[in-house]
Amino acid sequence: MEYAIETFSLTKVFSDFWGRQKVYAVDNLNLKINYNEVFGLLGPNGSGKTTTLKVLLGLLYPTKGKSIVLGGDSSDPKINARIGFLPEESYLYKYLNARETLDFYGRLFGLGAKVRKMRIEALLDMVGLRAVANRPVGTFSKGMARRIGLAQALINDPDLLILDEPTTGLDPIGTRQIKDLILQLAKRGKTVLLCSHLLADVEDVCDRIAILYGGKIQAKGKVKELLQQTNKRQITTGSISDRSVERIKQIVENEQAECTVTSPMDRLETFFIKTVVAAQQQAQATSGAVSTTKIGDFLTSGPRAGSILDKLVSAPVSRQGSSDKPATTEEVSPVETGESEPDRQLLSKLTEPAEPVPPEGVVKPEPVETETSQQEAEKSILEQLTERHTSTDRDENQGDSHKGDAGDA
Amino acid sequence: MRSIWAVATNTLKQALRMKIAVVFVVLLLVLLPAMAISMVGDGTLKGRMQTFISYGLSLTSFLLCLLTILASTYSLTSEFEQKQIYTVLTKPVRRFELLLGKVLGVILLDIGLLGLFSALIYGITIYTPRFVKAGEAELLQVQNEFFTARAGLIPAKADVGDEVEKTYERLERTGQLPPGVTDSKIGRENYKNALASQIELGKRAAAPGHELVWEFNNVKPIDPNESLFVRFKYDVSMNPPDLHVYGKWLVGDIRQAGSRVGTPVYPFERRDLIRTFYEIEVPADAVAEDGYLAVGFFNDPRFNNTVVIFPLEDGLEVLYKADSFTANFFRGVLLVFFRLVLLACLGIFASSFLSMPVAILLCLIVFFTGTISGFIIESFDYLSKNASSLCSYTIGPIIRLLPQFDKFNPTKFLLGGRLLSWSVVAKVAGLMIFVKSAILLLLALVIFSYREIARITV
Ligand SMILES: Nc1ncnc2c1ncn2[C@@H]1O[C@H](COP(=O)(O)OP(=O)(O)OP(=O)(O)O)[C@@H](O)[C@H]1O
Ligand SMILES: [Mg+2]
Repeated sequence: MEYAIETFSLTKVFSDFWGRQKVYAVDNLNLKINYNEVFGLLGPNGSGKTTTLKVLLGLLYPTKGKSIVLGGDSSDPKINARIGFLPEESYLYKYLNARETLDFYGRLFGLGAKVRKMRIEALLDMVGLRAVANRPVGTFSKGMARRIGLAQALINDPDLLILDEPTTGLDPIGTRQIKDLILQLAKRGKTVLLCSHLLADVEDVCDRIAILYGGKIQAKGKVKELLQQTNKRQITTGSISDRSVERIKQIVENEQAECTVTSPMDRLETFFIKTVVAAQQQAQATSGAVSTTKIGDFLTSGPRAGSILDKLVSAPVSRQGSSDKPATTEEVSPVETGESEPDRQLLSKLTEPAEPVPPEGVVKPEPVETETSQQEAEKSILEQLTERHTSTDRDENQGDSHKGDAGDA
Repeated sequence: MRSIWAVATNTLKQALRMKIAVVFVVLLLVLLPAMAISMVGDGTLKGRMQTFISYGLSLTSFLLCLLTILASTYSLTSEFEQKQIYTVLTKPVRRFELLLGKVLGVILLDIGLLGLFSALIYGITIYTPRFVKAGEAELLQVQNEFFTARAGLIPAKADVGDEVEKTYERLERTGQLPPGVTDSKIGRENYKNALASQIELGKRAAAPGHELVWEFNNVKPIDPNESLFVRFKYDVSMNPPDLHVYGKWLVGDIRQAGSRVGTPVYPFERRDLIRTFYEIEVPADAVAEDGYLAVGFFNDPRFNNTVVIFPLEDGLEVLYKADSFTANFFRGVLLVFFRLVLLACLGIFASSFLSMPVAILLCLIVFFTGTISGFIIESFDYLSKNASSLCSYTIGPIIRLLPQFDKFNPTKFLLGGRLLSWSVVAKVAGLMIFVKSAILLLLALVIFSYREIARITV
């Protein structure tokens, strides 16, 4: 029971009906994931991430090796009851509406009617789908379905959360929310295993990562250690005069080091969230998901926190956004249920200056393959676009930019 | 247990909301009343009722069978195709619970729909006589021959074994056996069988001026004030010119001949067409207290000059009301229900390892062979007489494991107002549910619990 997940030279070979055409989807995988750790499994398409998860969950049988999940076998209902799983795509029953879907999964966990109802409402609030809870999920947009998929994975308040590309199809606020949620769960002592190739997401939340290629682990370790550039330093200051800048430059040059000075930009994420929040404040209609950063009550309450007071006090905390500026505006979510705490959290994040972004092009663990670098290239293009966009249009844009992107539907 | 129920209700919702059931429901809701109005049968009220109940029930049963096949295969194969099963089996749900839930869901659907439509058929059947203009006689006939559940007694088969042996020996001694008979054992057996039926038939034939008497025990009408019926069909050795036979009948306890006390003995004289079924209505008090009843027939030489024969299987039968139509109808519906349960298990079994189209195909094949199982079994028996024992010990049991829908067809009973007894129902339940369905389900469980869920075969 030392590890939440442990695999012993886990191998999965796919062969066709006649035993030919062998695909080594997972090859001699030795993973050790600690309790209370956020572990990221990275890798290009087809590198075996999903296959690994399926083997861990007993949906596929390993060709060789074995895995231990939460100290037992994942086909054991007792173990399953403590796992939450979000598959690659949200495979939902199209004919059920959002509430019924969650109810169904709640029943599978044998949750009592009262607990089920409480959790369903909390989760619907959290994923912002309460207003559309009576629509069949078959009519949902991809991101909305994803949100239900996520809610489904959380209904048992799992000790181990296994997420396969949780943020695909989600809007930036949803993405941000998931990241906050993961951190929140980690704070409560839960273990999270997540697969993704969205490096920015992984970087923000994971304690440790492993990079898969061809079913083999190519690199693994602590994110901080893997990414730290020991020969660079970044200084962020408040507004200072040009003269001071010159003086600092002088000092740096005295040490024979290079120095560039720029004004930090908003990240596109921050900008997007601002825009949507503005639209929500004007109560524009949407048939899509309503963005909140609320996290279900039962998910945020600490293991010991039994009282309502405790629950109210424990607000979602993100690692970066620790400063708590007072809220400047009123409630934003149309589906408000009286918990103001999470929203204030959102606003404080929005009004904050952008968090320092680690310099681009740093994700270079040694033996990484071509696809990763390609992705980096794409990302930097995006970043460039963002910069141009934000630097030129930011000021006039505030007023009217919230017309188009009111929801994700 | 709770997850079985959750899966079951989900399956039910799927069948209803995916409009699988809707097509069938609408079809039946339109067809059943239309049939009630348009079908007149042979013109009599009884004929009309018979046509409606047999077509109505058969159609309902047929469509529900198809629906069951579709719903059960779809509900499991779609789990794989749309992959919701990934999210279900990673919850604390055991694989057998998922399967049982699916079966239960389909059965719930069947219970609902079968309940609905059998109630509709029952209602229409009960109310038809009020809306159709029919004479007293017709109403009475329907009451006696349709809205009832009559048990039938056929005369005990005469034991002709000794007589066959004697005749055979005599023929052998006198050298009258046809050539080739004595060559093989099979030849001898066949000849003896033919001889036996000949002698049996002889015991059910009356030459002019002769009489036949059949005795029955265990006649138990539920109400002595009701009637009992002697159902018969004449056959003749030589067609009379007017195709009619003049018969004198006597029904009652003939053991008490002469003594005045006791049960009445009823005489009848009638003239009936040959090779046609007739029923003589006799007050049920003709039955003696110990359940004894005798039926006598006298071939009146004044009017007939041909031998009158009562065919072996259905020449003569005594019918009496043993239960109500309603109870009988209910049991008939139960037979249909067992059939649906079997098909639900079959559908789940097939989709535990096959994809949707193939699973449906397999189920349909089994279903249609099931509806002609009598024919298949007979022809197999005929063919296997000469085949090797290996063949008959392997294929034989498999063929018998096929569902036998034609054998347990409820309309057969309801048409003639025949009693479908609880013992028959229990027998069918035992065979269809506790043997065949159970085997299918067990196989499905075994296959399913070893199946690699996320394995995709193209
Ligand atoms: N059922 C299967 N049959 C045969 N091959 C399979 C099967 N499932 C996966 N594979 C193969 O295994 C390899 C790994 O697939 P996997 O789905 O684990 O990739 P992944 O890392 O999740 O990729 P992505 O980022 O696209 O989701 C691929 O080459 C894939 O073609
Ligand atoms: Mg994948």
